Formats: sequence, C-alpha cells, structure tokens
Amino acid sequence: MLKYAAKRLIQSLVTLVIIITIVFSLLRLMPVEGYFQNFDKLDKNQIHAALLSMGLLDPLPVQLKNFFVQLLHGSLGNSLIYRPNVPVLDIIADKAPVSIFMGLASMAIALLLGLPLGTAMARSKAKFWDKFGTAFIVFVTAVPAAVYYLLIQVYFTDWLGLPILFSESDPVSWILPTVSLSLGNIAYYAMWLRRYMVDELNKDYIRLARAKGVDSKTIMKKHVFRNAFVPMVQYLPTSLLYTIAGSIYIESLYSVPGMGGLLVNVIQRQDNNMVQALVLIYSAIGIVGLLFGDILMNLMDPRISFEKKGGAR
Amino acid sequence: MEQEILLSVKNLEVKFDLRGRTLNAIRGISLDLYKGESLAIVGESGSGKSVLVKTFMGLLDANGRITDGEILYNGQDFTKFKTEKEWLAIRGKELAMVLQDPMTSLNPLKTVGFQICEALELHQGLKGAKAKEAAVSILEDVGITEAGRRFSQYPHEFSGGMRQRAVIAIAVACRPKILICDEPTTALDVTIQAQILNLLKDLKAKYDLTTIYITHDLGVVANVADRIAVMYAGDIVEIGKCDEVFYNPRHPYTWALLSSLPQLGVKGENLYSIKGAPPNLFTHIAGDAFAPRNPRALKIDFVKRPPYFDVSPTHKARTWLLDPRAPKVDPPESIRKLRQGVSANG
Repeated sequence: MLKYAAKRLIQSLVTLVIIITIVFSLLRLMPVEGYFQNFDKLDKNQIHAALLSMGLLDPLPVQLKNFFVQLLHGSLGNSLIYRPNVPVLDIIADKAPVSIFMGLASMAIALLLGLPLGTAMARSKAKFWDKFGTAFIVFVTAVPAAVYYLLIQVYFTDWLGLPILFSESDPVSWILPTVSLSLGNIAYYAMWLRRYMVDELNKDYIRLARAKGVDSKTIMKKHVFRNAFVPMVQYLPTSLLYTIAGSIYIESLYSVPGMGGLLVNVIQRQDNNMVQALVLIYSAIGIVGLLFGDILMNLMDPRISFEKKGGAR
Repeated sequence: MEQEILLSVKNLEVKFDLRGRTLNAIRGISLDLYKGESLAIVGESGSGKSVLVKTFMGLLDANGRITDGEILYNGQDFTKFKTEKEWLAIRGKELAMVLQDPMTSLNPLKTVGFQICEALELHQGLKGAKAKEAAVSILEDVGITEAGRRFSQYPHEFSGGMRQRAVIAIAVACRPKILICDEPTTALDVTIQAQILNLLKDLKAKYDLTTIYITHDLGVVANVADRIAVMYAGDIVEIGKCDEVFYNPRHPYTWALLSSLPQLGVKGENLYSIKGAPPNLFTHIAGDAFAPRNPRALKIDFVKRPPYFDVSPTHKARTWLLDPRAPKVDPPESIRKLRQGVSANG
C-alpha cells in the first residue's frame, strides 16, 4: 500500500511538473502588457529595462529554471496588476478561508442529502423517491446553475427572511450560498449512487445473500451500499477540492469574498503572474484529487492491488 | 414404500408481468419432494425450472407472482407469505441455494470468511471466534485446503472451483434441510464438475440434506439424481425414478431430449436436435405444449391438455400416448436401443 502510494505520488509530481512547464511556456506568449500596471505611459526603453530586470528576456529554459527555483522556495511571485507587488500566495491566503469553509459545509450537506437520496431512489425503483429524485436531478443538471442560483437568491431570501448578501460576521447569511453550492453535488452523488446501487442489486451475490436469509436492510447496508460506494470514492476527493476552490456564480451573486471569481478577474485584467499561479493551483488540485481518489479506492477495494502477493490462485 | 413428504407443491401457477403482457411461467405444477432424496429438474432454457425453485424461497423477481396453487412445507403454505419476515424464517434455515456462476455469487469486497460467518450468525447464532472456528471447519468439509488462511481471503483470490466450494460452504453453514443447486456445475471446467458433484453427494450424506438439482446437463442428472422431473414450457411433463425416465421414457419430449444426447448419436450422422422453438408463453396453450414440435403428435394433443398417466407407482407422464384409447406409437430408434440395453442387462 505505502509503496503504491509513493509510486502514485511520484507520478503525480511528474505530471504536475509537466503541466507547470506547459502553462509557464504558454504564458510567455501572452502580450507583455500583462506585466505592467501603466503600460500606456511607458516608452520602449523603460519597458525593455523592466522586462530585463524581471528576467523576462532570458531564454525560456532559463526562465523556467528560475521559476522552479522560486517555486521550491515556496513563492509563486508577486501580483502585478490585481494588487501590485503583493505576493500571490498572500492574496490567495486572504480569500481561501471563506471558500474552504463554505466548500466543506456544502460538501457535508451534499453527502448528507445526496447519499440518502440515492439510496432511497435505488430502493424504490420507479416509485415515489425515484421519481422525485430523478425530477430533482434533471432540474439541477438541465437548468443552468446561474438560473436556479438566481431564483433561490431572489425568492428564498424573501420567503425565509434571509439576507441577500453575504457577511462574514452573520452566520445566517452563509446558509443560502452554501446550500446553493451543494445542489449540484447532491444531484451528482444521488445519481451515481443510485446507478451503482441498482447495478449491485442485480448481481448474483445479492441473490445469494438473500437466499441465505439476510434481511433486505442488512443487504442494502452491508453489501449494496458499501459496494456501490467504492466506484464513487474515486471521484469524491476531486469533487471536494473543486468545491473548496469556490464557485464563481455564487461568490459573485452573494458577493462572497472567496477564490471563485479570482481567476476570471485576473485573466480579464491580464495579471500574468496571478493567472500563472492560479492555473497551477487548480491543476494541482485536480491531480491531488485524483491521487487521493485512487488511494482511497485502493484502500476500499481488495481486488485492486498493485503489489504482487504470493499464494493467490 | 411410503416416503415422508418434505415439501409439496400443488397446482402451482406463476405469472410474470412483462411490458403490459402476462407470461405464464409455471402452468399448474404439482410435485412432492421426499425427505432425503435427490431430485433433478431438467428442461431447456426458459422451461421454468429456476422460477419453480425460486418460489420455494420467495425469491421471484418483483414482476412475478404466484396466481394459484400451494407450496406446503412443515404445515406452512409459502404462497400465503406476505412479509419478508415470514420468509426470513425459511431462507437459509430451511432451504439454501447454490447458484450457477461462482464467479459472481460471492461479494467481491467481503472476505470469504465474512460471508460464511454471516450465515453462521444468522442461523446458528455463532459469533466471533466460535463462528470463525465453525467456518474454518466447514471450509475443510468442502475440501478447501489451508482453510485457516483461506478464511480471510477475498473471492478474487479463489479459483472458480474453489469459489463454488465456498458458495456451497455458505449454503451448508445455514444448516438447511433442503439444498437447491441451480445448475451448480454449468460454469465450471469438466474436471471440476465431477469434483463438485461428488462433494455435493458427500455433504448430502454428512449433513442429512434433501437436494434439488436444476440442470440441463443429463450427465449431471445420471450422476446425482434419485428422481427426475422433466420440465417443458412451465409444466412437468414426466417424472419418475432416474432409471425409469432414462430407460423407459414415455413423453415425446423426454424422447426428444434423450435423443439429443451426443452419446446416442450414430458416428458420421448429424446429431439429433429438436426441431422448432419452445411455445410462446405469453399466449394460452391448448393441449400438449410440445405437440407442435412433435412429429408423432396425435390430433387430441392440439386440443386438450393431457392429464398424468401412471406408468408405475413412481413414474408418470403427461401424454395422451398413455391413454388406453391411443394408437400405439413407437419411441424413436435411439430410445428403443436404450431400453433394450436395460432389458439385456437386467
């Protein structure tokens, strides 16, 4: 197991290095405006001097080497336009806590509601819960998120007397954005869990368990749910990490000071260093998510073993 | 000799609802299972053999229902069972089952030991170390070596034959009175098949079981069965002792089935096959269900369903050919040879 984890970790690191190299190289093709706040006011010589001092006129491999050295020292460079000369990581550290908290809360809601919904749907195939859940899933998947987020904000604030805008000091104002954020995941988990559980229910070993006299509740819990959960486990870490990384729509709707809108914002304003740092962070999140998913799956499914064991068969 | 009847099926009818249509899967079956015997139910795919035994354990699919008849066991009528609770007192405890495909009949994420202990705990109240001890001894009983180590292994670490042994171990761990083996060897290698059949025979003696085999392999039947019930289109067309059905078959379908045995074929000639297809069970079947495929069918076979005619006290068949008024129809050549073989030997 440890050996497998180590191997996968190294693979992930290699993937990350490749991604960094590609992103870094591509960003060198961006217009140089992205390195200046006051590009219009500068003349050619000033620009040349500034680029030279930032090391941007060095050959690409040298720049890349410098970037990696910098990265190893725990720095992703400074913001240039968004908040000039503030380290990128500080900016993110400012914004992350809100997004992380909201993400974790919404993830908890999604698991607490999505898994029971999926189970209820699998259990009552073609009956009430299944139809209800299907309607919900179709609604959440088919209607653009922006639309129902907006509907929730407009109507629910009114009905429930909740504040329209987010305020860090007022916990009640957290409810609607967090719940809105979890809707997609609730639908997603319910849909996949139902699908995998129905798959498992039709398998022979369930028939055998029934034939040996296990009651349906125990079969659902010990055999069906557990086995259906394994294929889902692979996607949970990724889904968690992306939820933590924030949602553009929700954060702008409720003016939540989170990370969601950051990437769009800095791309629009051509803050090259920020774009670079954020793209790296998002790819790292994806890779780490997959890594954890694989490791979890490996822990839960005895059939997946990457180390040779003696004595089998 | 009067034998004790363990389970008695009376005029059982099972229907399935399929996309708004009704399929008559079992059309009025009556059958007695004697204590300690080994009964084989043979018939082609779709003849209703699996459906029949599923009704004994309340394991019919959701769209299937018993529309008529009784299944009597120990003073209870299974067809009257409404709740799962009633069935839980039967499943495993009284009847247990071995399924066809050992590759899929074990939960891949639980150890073999866990799956045996589950049955031990349910039916014998054993837990923890005691359950493990009992499970290991059952594993040894079913012929798994190094049972202690195998106990904590997962199904994927077992070969096909060993998995079927594990499935049998689970069935035995329930301590049932009746063991239903639904094509227990179909998915196995020929070499393993014989081992599994011998194992089942040994366990039958050791645990005092009554066994029902469902199979379409007549070789299996000859090996293990005391009695044979031949099923066609949801009905038992002929039932009798193993020798009686093999050497003195009376129903044209049984003739056709036996003639299909490759061993009865003549070298150089095409193997015998039954022409036509089984009847459509969505429609009402008048007369003998096999008549349309039977070259020797009488006129009445298309009109009126034959009753059972006794051939001997233990052997009966549902065919008009046995009616005293029927013209004499000879069985096919290959069947006559079988019979001669018997009279020459006996």
